Order: sequence, then structure tokens, then C-alpha cells
Amino acid sequence: MPANKKFWKQAFPIVLLTIVVAVCVSLLSYIDSITREKISAQEDEAVKALITDIFPDMSRYEFKNDIYTVYSDDTKLGYAFLATGKGYGGDISILVGLSDETTVKGIKIVSQTETPGLGSRITESFFTDQFKGVAINNVALSRDGGKIDAITGSTISSSAVVNAVRDTAMEKVKQLEGSD
Amino acid sequence: MSELVTIFLGLVLINNFILVRFLGLCPFFGVSKQLGSAISMGIAVTFVMAIASLATWLISNYILLPLDIEYMQIVIYILVIATLVQIIELFIKKTNLGLYFSFGIYLPLITTNCAVLGITLINATENYSLSGSIVAALGGGLGFTLALAMMSGIREKLELANTPKSMKGLPIAFITAALLGLAFLGFGGIV
Amino acid sequence: MGKFGKEFAKGIIITNPVFVLVLGLCPTLAISTSIDNALGMTLAVLIVLLGSNIIIAAIRNYVPNITRIPIFIVIIATLVTVVNLIFHAYLPATYEALGIYLPLVVVNCIILGRAEAFASKHTVAQSIADALGMTVGFMLALLMISFIRQVLGTGSLSVFGVDLFTLPVLGEHPIAIFILPYGAFIVIGLLMGLFRRTGVMKE
Repeated sequence: MPANKKFWKQAFPIVLLTIVVAVCVSLLSYIDSITREKISAQEDEAVKALITDIFPDMSRYEFKNDIYTVYSDDTKLGYAFLATGKGYGGDISILVGLSDETTVKGIKIVSQTETPGLGSRITESFFTDQFKGVAINNVALSRDGGKIDAITGSTISSSAVVNAVRDTAMEKVKQLEGSD
Repeated sequence: MSELVTIFLGLVLINNFILVRFLGLCPFFGVSKQLGSAISMGIAVTFVMAIASLATWLISNYILLPLDIEYMQIVIYILVIATLVQIIELFIKKTNLGLYFSFGIYLPLITTNCAVLGITLINATENYSLSGSIVAALGGGLGFTLALAMMSGIREKLELANTPKSMKGLPIAFITAALLGLAFLGFGGIV
Repeated sequence: MGKFGKEFAKGIIITNPVFVLVLGLCPTLAISTSIDNALGMTLAVLIVLLGSNIIIAAIRNYVPNITRIPIFIVIIATLVTVVNLIFHAYLPATYEALGIYLPLVVVNCIILGRAEAFASKHTVAQSIADALGMTVGFMLALLMISFIRQVLGTGSLSVFGVDLFTLPVLGEHPIAIFILPYGAFIVIGLLMGLFRRTGVMKE
């Protein structure tokens, strides 16, 4: 009898810990199963919203090799893809829309951590609208001979966006032409 | 290679763990009155961060993702960290009793140091490679140590200064941290 | 009611978690850039703190000393993961705004601190009071800091998308430093000094 009790006294902590862990894992597994669908649906919604901002007539899109091909029913509207630039405060994530292999349809800043009031103004339309209808080759700051005016006091943020858009666009176009 | 340097410098100077990201504040204001203990603390935390980054990266990529149990991330990460700290504590106790006592309660408290769990989470969100994660841990730890060391040096002097009574101690320490952080802003253009 | 009320009120001023106990600083300073974020974080802390205090107080007599800390950690980590998943699914904007500071609630000293220092030694009812009091204290501190930072740093105030007001001068030229991390240090330092000066909160 005493041997039994002693064993139990020593094993109890481990047993309790195991029970607690088992309960917690089951709880988490359950919560995960009910939230999983909602979460991935959200991510799709987010992407769709961003692309629709650039292509208002979009009805559907296809995703292959990191490039979204955007359609309005059966008409191809263009392409979209993510570009990342090295900004002042970190990575800047940009959704770039192309109306064809040579022209930019528009851009949308997805995420950035630039200085509030200065570099963070790259998200505003007065900056992003400049990209609409510009030829990929002309996506550069005006001081470098291109068509985009930098934001005063935020040359680093502005050029990060400009360079990311142009370089990634050229890369993706090459990819598209290569796969045809 | 340049990507690793960027990650490293970024974490030490620009996104300094304490001054910008607010990770690792508790020991920052508790320990940092003496330069010596501040540096030992910094090194201890950096060490834990590095090993924790290694362990959690392996677990994340070889267990969590393949088995699709990413939701266990928080629980497993913190248990790994707690275990690591226990092991290190035992190790120090066996090999260098003096060091063990000088750390006091702050050694087990490394478990709840936001910097350690913070770096493992950052590695996961930014999706760093194994080398990237370890470099990030070293960078974050170095930044932490740097801020801690500077803070302790300043606080040693502050003890002797004529601070208004209500600002003595923590309040003036916070303002100092703000000024330190502002100084670091100058590093912004490096990367 | 008396004892319950006492535990509750204690957390708000006398042992305010942020200004007096100086716990849970990491999320406080990082999140305090806007009232919305402050409220989101408070909700997360409320759920986790209340949950952990209740559970730990309930099982306090059955938990052997050796496994105390690991069990507390597992419980708290589970609660935080639950909140993380629920926010991600149902409150996506808040989830995005809180970022990594939401999972970091796991190591928020307030939660483990109260579990160790209080819930493991008091009844469930008292622990509930403690959790609520601490959360209110936390919320007040967070709201104070966020209010100052948001108004001075952006010149306007908006809660849940509803624009409340925009100040005349500050609206055009907000004092950007307050929105930056350094501003958080300044605000909390000054507030702490103010509270000590006026005797509202002691060291």
C-alpha cells in the first residue's frame, strides 16, 4: 500500500501537467478548426479588395507563379503582383497593376512602416495616382528623368516605391514573355 | 550575405529592440543601474535569444508547418523558452555560483522577457531562413545590450544629478530612454 | 461586496499595474498610438487575465509546487492563442493593428504576475475582482497615454472610424514625435512624475 501511494505522489505532478496540456491542445485544435476557414477567406477578401482598387471592373482573377491575371468576365484586363521596396523604416509592400506588358495601370501601397506624416504619405493618392498610365520604362523619379515626383522630405521612401515598382514590373514582364 | 548584414544592422540600430520596439523593458528599468550587471544581463539575454531562435526555427519548419498545427506556435515557443532558461540556470548554478547569485531573480525572469519570445515571433512573421533567424537574434540581442549598457551608464550619473523629487527614478529614466531613442534615429539612413 | 470591491478598487489606483507596479510595459507603450488600439489590447488582456485568474484560482489547491510554473504558462499561452485566433477571424482590423504585441501578451508580466502573486493564493471570486480591477487600471493607463499620443501626434481623435474632433493648429502640424516610439517614453515618464507629484500614486 505505502509503495503505491508514494509512486502516485511522485507521478501526480506529471499526470496533472499531461492532463492540462491535453485539455489545452484539444481546446486549441477545436478553436483552430472553427476559425481556419474564416481566416483564409479573409486573406482572399483582402487581396480581392486591393486588386479591385486598381481594376474596378474586375470580376475574377487567376493566380500563377506569383502573378495575378485579372479578368472582367472573359476580357483580360491586365496583371497584378506584389513588389517589395526597402523603405526608410522597413519593407514597403506594393500591389502593382499592369494594363499590359508595357504600361502601369496603378499601384496600391499594401503595408509600410515609414515615418508618419512624411514617408508614410506614399499611401496617399496624390503620390500613387502619378503611376497611372505611365510606361514601365518611365517609372522613375523626375530628378532622374522619369515621370514621378518624389514627396518633399521623403526621397528615400519615394524612391524605394519607384524602384520596387519598376524593377519588379520588368522582372514580371520578362517572366510573362518567357512563359508564352 | 548583404541581406544578413541588413537584418543585423536593422535590428541593432534602426529597430532597436528596447528603444523602438519596446521589447525587453522590464529588465531595462530594473537592472540597468550598474554597467557591469547591465552587460552581463545583455549577454545572457542575447544567448537565450540565439538558442531559442534556433530551436523554434527547427520546430516551426520541421514540426509545426508539416503537421499543420501552426496554432500551437505560441504555446510551444514559450515552453521551449522556459525550458531553455531552466537548463541555462542549472548550468550556471553548477559552474559559476557567483554569477548565479549576481543575476538573482532576473535569470528566471528572462523567460518572460518580451525580447526572447519577440525575436522568435519576428523570425516567424518575417519568414527568415535559419541563418537569418540567428543573425536577427544576435542583432536584436546586441541592440538590447547596447541600449541597456548606455542606459546604465547614464543612470549612474543621474543618481547624482539634481532631479525633481517626483521625477526621480523611473520617470526620468523613461525620458532618458526617449532621448536615447531619438539619438538612434540618426542611423536611419544606413540601410 | 466589501472585500470584492476592495480587491477591485485596488487595481485601479493604489496598485495600478502600469504606473505603480510597472508591469506589462511592452504592449502598453507599443500599442498606445491610438484609442482604438488601446481598447483592442484591453479586450485581449481582459479575456486572458480573467480567464487565467479564474482557472488558476480554481485549481490552486491541486497544483503541486514543482509543476506550478509550467502549468500556469501552458494555461496562459492557450488563452492567448485562443484570443489570437478569435481576433484574427472575427476582429481582423484589431488583429492587424496589434501585430506581434497580441501574442506577446503571453509574457505580459501583469498576467503571470497576478497568477503567481494572487490567483494561486485566493478564492475564485477574489481573483475575478483582482483581474477586473487590474484590467480597469491597465485600461485607464493605456487610454490616458493613447489619448495624449493620438491627439498631440496626429492632431485629431477618431474612435472606431468615427472622427471625433480635429484640433485647429495641431491638425495641420501635429507633433509627430508623440506618435513615434520615443513619444511613448516621454508621455509615460511625464505622467508618472505627475502622479507622484500630486500624490495620487506612490512609488
